[in-house]
Amino acid sequence: MTIAQPDRGKRRRSKLDAQFDRIRDREEAGQVKKRRRGRFWNKFLNNHLAVAGLVVFTFIILVSVFAPLLTSYDPRAVDLRSMTQAPSLEHWFGTDRTGRDVFARVLYGGRISILVGLGSAILCAIIGVIIGIYSGYIGGWLDWFAMRVSEVFMAFPQIILVLLLVSILGQSLANLMIIFTLTGWGGIYRMARARMLSLREEEYVQALRSFGLGPARIAYKHMLPNALGPIMVNITLSTAAFILQEAALSFLGLGVPLSVPTWGNILNAAQDLRILENYWWIWLPVGVTISLFVLSVNFIGDGLRDATDPSQQG
Amino acid sequence: MPTYIIRRLLTLVPMAIVISFLVYLGLELTPGDAVSHMIPPDGIGSMDPERLQMLRESLGLGQPFLVRYWIWLTGVVQGEFGYSLSGGVPIAQIFLTRLPATLELSIAALVISSIAGSILGTISALTRGSKTDQALTTVGMLGVSIPEFFIGLVAILIFSLNLQWLPVGGRLMPGDDSFWDRIPNLVMPALVLSIMMTAGVMRYARSSMLDALSKDFVRTARSKGMPEWRVNLLHGFRVALTPVIVLIGFRLPVLIGGTVVIEQVFQWPGIGNEFIASVRAQDYPLVMMIALFSVIAVLLASLIVDILTAVIDPRVRLGD
Repeated sequence: MTIAQPDRGKRRRSKLDAQFDRIRDREEAGQVKKRRRGRFWNKFLNNHLAVAGLVVFTFIILVSVFAPLLTSYDPRAVDLRSMTQAPSLEHWFGTDRTGRDVFARVLYGGRISILVGLGSAILCAIIGVIIGIYSGYIGGWLDWFAMRVSEVFMAFPQIILVLLLVSILGQSLANLMIIFTLTGWGGIYRMARARMLSLREEEYVQALRSFGLGPARIAYKHMLPNALGPIMVNITLSTAAFILQEAALSFLGLGVPLSVPTWGNILNAAQDLRILENYWWIWLPVGVTISLFVLSVNFIGDGLRDATDPSQQG
Repeated sequence: MPTYIIRRLLTLVPMAIVISFLVYLGLELTPGDAVSHMIPPDGIGSMDPERLQMLRESLGLGQPFLVRYWIWLTGVVQGEFGYSLSGGVPIAQIFLTRLPATLELSIAALVISSIAGSILGTISALTRGSKTDQALTTVGMLGVSIPEFFIGLVAILIFSLNLQWLPVGGRLMPGDDSFWDRIPNLVMPALVLSIMMTAGVMRYARSSMLDALSKDFVRTARSKGMPEWRVNLLHGFRVALTPVIVLIGFRLPVLIGGTVVIEQVFQWPGIGNEFIASVRAQDYPLVMMIALFSVIAVLLASLIVDILTAVIDPRVRLGD
């Protein structure tokens, strides 16, 4: 970065250059203190969008987890005397067609939607990483077989495969998570496998092998930590994707059963044009919540990628 | 080149056969068979079990699974896709009436998102680090984070219900009016469907363009004294475009997924709408056939993309 580039004419001295000079001066004077945080956290915390994402992400998770403390309404309690009321002090986000408190439904819905999104992403990661790390390191028929299976799964457009499985297995929360895991493990498996294929040739791996360590120990204990960065990025990206998918499926009425409040199920009501036009509070807050949550997860994912993989920085 | 294409085809055919087998297996695992769908549930109880058995035999249901799979597969290859359970409409006929609408919508979205995405991504790369770049990157992030159907709903509320510029949804059937009369119905779904893809293409075009601009031949072109716009367009953009085209090809699954949801939001009478309806009605033959066709479309798209890349970049076909 500090190499002169004569062909591009005079190079402006940027703020970054000044910063580098200052750091070099301090280094030469022997004043540089030992880093308290690792390089990862330094880079991550310097990324304002990632930090903002982390704040929003934590906030939404906390209000969902502590929903019973924040609202006294039952998200499923029907109250026919107070249907489609506008937001008021009593009902912060108003009430829906059957008099259920929308604020309570958004909070409690977050619990399920985040559980589905984050839970399925973590399940995918566990399965994909266990198979990917092992088959990537060992190779052989297991690797060949796992690769073909993942190819079959990835040939389907995801929503088609998900809906196909929903129509066979039926609608329920557990089924949806199983289906998301089945359809989503392929991506992380391939990523972990590719990472292992390149790590396999590293010298430290050869050294470990010559010490006589078993393949499982080398793969999971010594090589896995070096693949954690991309794995974490992948978990965030699939969380975002699964939350969007849950919302879309529930909006279509084919995700989590309608009796369970989830973000998608709340939005389902907006298919009715009268609700869309007259009762904005039923669908707008929850739509904004989903968007904010997914946005925050995506910003965290970008921040993680920049902090763990400098080659991807743009 | 021909050997490369043949090699790719040889990996594609087994894949298609495996998937067709899985689809048929899925059809087997779903409750009920052809007989139980032909006869109303209250009639089946009063029927003589022997006659039911005879009916099953006459339909070929008594034969082993693999034999039935083979008969089904040869039928599908010859265009006999079977019948939908609701109304007994031939599935081939459903495809014929529904496919044009889906193609119209998805091609419109594909064209919009490819053009807008590569232009915006290039602008973003050329003004790297500036306010424009930051704004575009943030908007791109919003584009992939807001659920498509939510954007669709807000668009309906603003442009159809409040401003009354565009119809709420639906599609005029061909023959009713000229192509231009149908445009107003197409505008909103196509734009909404293209938003997510535009954001994806934009992000990719940006990094691809940055990559191309850091190459030696760009530096050489600059040092020859070529005007900046010529360097960017001829050397940067053209080189950066190749991987973007590849990405667009591989985005077909995303496009199909988006079509399914958006068709529902705007009541667009396409395959996606039919798919949702058949999942709801548990019309398994139709569900499986649409799924099978979407997979074949994706496989063919990836084949075409691979061949195109091999044409453009000789390293691909000479490699492994």
